[in-house]
Amino acid sequence: MDQRGCAEILKEGLKKAGIDFVATLPDLKIVELIKSVKQDSTLRHVSLCREEEGVGICAGAYLTGKRCALIMQNGGLLNSCNALTTTSLQFQIPLLLLVYYAGDIGDRGFATVGSVTEPVLGALGIRTYVPRKMEEIEDTLIGAQALADDSKQPVAVLLTKSVLGVK
Amino acid sequence: MQRYDFLKAIAQDTGDALAVAAGGAAREWLALRPGDGTLRTRTLGLASSIALGIALGLPHRKVIVFDGDGAFLMNLCGLPTIAWHHSGNLIHILFDNECYEASGGTETATAAVADAVALAKGAGYKYSCWAKDPEEFRSEFLKAWKRNDLSLIAAKVDPGRPKLPPILQDELENKYRFIRYIEETEKKTILGPADHSMRR
Repeated sequence: MDQRGCAEILKEGLKKAGIDFVATLPDLKIVELIKSVKQDSTLRHVSLCREEEGVGICAGAYLTGKRCALIMQNGGLLNSCNALTTTSLQFQIPLLLLVYYAGDIGDRGFATVGSVTEPVLGALGIRTYVPRKMEEIEDTLIGAQALADDSKQPVAVLLTKSVLGVK
Repeated sequence: MQRYDFLKAIAQDTGDALAVAAGGAAREWLALRPGDGTLRTRTLGLASSIALGIALGLPHRKVIVFDGDGAFLMNLCGLPTIAWHHSGNLIHILFDNECYEASGGTETATAAVADAVALAKGAGYKYSCWAKDPEEFRSEFLKAWKRNDLSLIAAKVDPGRPKLPPILQDELENKYRFIRYIEETEKKTILGPADHSMRR
């Protein structure tokens, strides 16, 4: 499946999970997903300058009844650690983190950020899922959002090249 | 003039607006406007972004954020996002005491070189101004309220805070009360049933 097809499945999965508010910062590998979110008039989209502000914007939107996802690269996840700790975790605010897993096995050029991604999420106590097949996407997103909502915490879904249609 | 003098000047003018503030500003605002419509934030710099999220979620409701210069400088990248995506109902207040008052009082960049109003303008805020005293501050605030468009009103203030009773709510109680307050005043359900068997 090409990037556009994968993006559509991911975006539809987000909607089936109940997400209606999405903040994003692009990486080349998730740009089709972001375009797809942006073009969908049923999703409120906010484009960010830095990922950490997205944690705040989503937290505020949650307090008014929105269900929020933050789409970014794992470098952006590292940028967001203080906000995830002192806003999301401290106030117990659910947030679906859709994180492009740069530096995953088979993904050249970002080995350092790739190597710290799961340990950092683990240290934050953020439950993390890594679907590797398209047919896992919908259930993973629905399940991750339900977990976020029940636990009132962020939950991360790491997006590998295989579910982004990237060769 | 301290922050509290400026807050007092607008305390009767904020109707049913929701407020977002950190630290001393939150304590002072709560002393003037007790109730559940104020969210106290903990991440330095994030109050303005959280306020944007609230404003986007409730575009018909006024939202006021009380920012400080240290926080403002830490989240400069949040300003273009606010200017780009705001829904017109956000009033951004900045009290610039030119120091990290809560962290020991060392100076911030606004004491030396940075101009917060110009930074907001450069980020895309159409309305961004300094108010020189509480009277002018109130008049600018009332204009911003009527304008119903994103506005930043900044004031240079002296460090220092009045003696006020401590806040008793922790962040979780504050969060829940804030959400319940929105539910009540907006007549909507935000938190689903706590009974898990009732969840989808």
